[in-house]
Amino acid sequence: MDQLPIFLHALLDQTGVIHFSLGNLVMILVGAIMIYLAISKHYEPLLLIGIGFSCIVANVPGPPDDVPGGQAISALLYVVKEGGLFHYAYEGVAKLIIPPLIFLGVGAMTDFGPMIANPKLVILGAGAHLGIFVALILAKLLGFSLAEAGAIGIIGGADGPMAIFVTMKLAPHLLGPVSVAAYSYMALMPMIQPPVMRLLTTKAERQISMADLRKVTKLEKIAFPLVIAIVVNLFFPPVAPLITMLMFGNLLKEVGVTERLAKTAAGGLMNVIILILTVAIGSTMAADKFLTWQTLQIVALGLVAFMFGTGSGVVTAKIMNLFLKVKINPLIGSAGIASVPIAARVSHIVAHEENPKNFLIYHAMGPNLAGVFGTAISGGIMLALIGVV
Amino acid sequence: MTTALIPDTLQGALILSLIDFLLSFVVISFIGLLLTGFPLLNRLADWVTVRRVAPAPIVAAPTPSALPVDDQGIPEEDIAVIMAAISAMVGGEHRVLHIEPAQHGVGWLAAGRQAQHQSHQPPRSPMR
Repeated sequence: MDQLPIFLHALLDQTGVIHFSLGNLVMILVGAIMIYLAISKHYEPLLLIGIGFSCIVANVPGPPDDVPGGQAISALLYVVKEGGLFHYAYEGVAKLIIPPLIFLGVGAMTDFGPMIANPKLVILGAGAHLGIFVALILAKLLGFSLAEAGAIGIIGGADGPMAIFVTMKLAPHLLGPVSVAAYSYMALMPMIQPPVMRLLTTKAERQISMADLRKVTKLEKIAFPLVIAIVVNLFFPPVAPLITMLMFGNLLKEVGVTERLAKTAAGGLMNVIILILTVAIGSTMAADKFLTWQTLQIVALGLVAFMFGTGSGVVTAKIMNLFLKVKINPLIGSAGIASVPIAARVSHIVAHEENPKNFLIYHAMGPNLAGVFGTAISGGIMLALIGVV
Repeated sequence: MTTALIPDTLQGALILSLIDFLLSFVVISFIGLLLTGFPLLNRLADWVTVRRVAPAPIVAAPTPSALPVDDQGIPEEDIAVIMAAISAMVGGEHRVLHIEPAQHGVGWLAAGRQAQHQSHQPPRSPMR
């Protein structure tokens, strides 16, 4: 009978209960909030459900690792560690296989017509990226190295695959917090952007309606991916793998004779990648690694980057209005931050709330798509200047 | 790995940010400029198409037919409008031989067809 407590303790030691910490509880709550927002608010459920679930499971400690006295490790991390199911998924992210495939799928499901139809709005794709540089400078002030600061800044590009790509080149050890911040803030755009947009615009500006865009022909849509692929490969080799795949996916969509391939790239393949990516990202959110001062700084800087990016896009649109005869609605400026199509939807929704007859979605898609190129260009220049190619 | 062009200092971060932000504007403006030229592709395609299509043999225009047979008492101005509409739709080479009011017949078939047609009609002005 005396042996019973010892036996029970040994038994308990083989479970995760005694390893459960307050940090785990906090991160489980974070994961639960993500799932709540995805279900009740429809904030990017495809991303947040997977990230939120794997964040929760990554913070449920299991028995100690299979070495004596090893650290408690969750069941999820067992499958993530070497030899486990998601180890190879994570390697796909880390070795930059997954990001180009995501871009392939994005290209196959994107209509670049709005961008081709109104070329002057592509400027907003650069204007809405001030946040990258604000975050970069602040990160440097906080003591990060220039390469780390660059990786943190690229969160403000609001482009998940590009953030992963640039981070893996500049500061691979920051992949977890950078990707979590990028994807989480992209999903939370509908909460982050509207206050900034309203702050920087008047009611009259938010009510501006925009004329219909011209029709873009099939020939133009086929020429677009070819021209952009050539330009990007010629001038921006550091980010060429991503944009080339984006353009390849788009070509598959537009030529009209490879419907099967386009459908697979945008459908089945993309879904598989989202499953892998979200679990791989969420699994990096274990409390012991995530609840550190450095990670919290990165997450905070990411938020600053998104807010400044949104604001600078709106301000750029207002500056353009000083020179344009036909005014544009400055709300579409915030869509230039990228995060396709979430940011464009936010522009449309905010404008629609002000004027129920105003449908800005098609207009906002132009700068939104240009934002993808803006992020790629900023990332490419950054990689070249920091000296990592 | 190539050599870093920017020093790892706060000043370096400022220089990097300035160069990157300004260059982004330049490059994206260049892309915008390229896109501005895209409508020229359509003109080029039209020009190529016109050149590739052999000129159609000149055929004597068909002799305008006599006015369609009107044995139903349809007003002339109505006939003129119908002819103009047909001409706009199918071009010059056509002949309208006969115009008469549509006979819908009776029964379920007629009622169904009428309901289908009326579903596409714009609402009538209250003045009419």
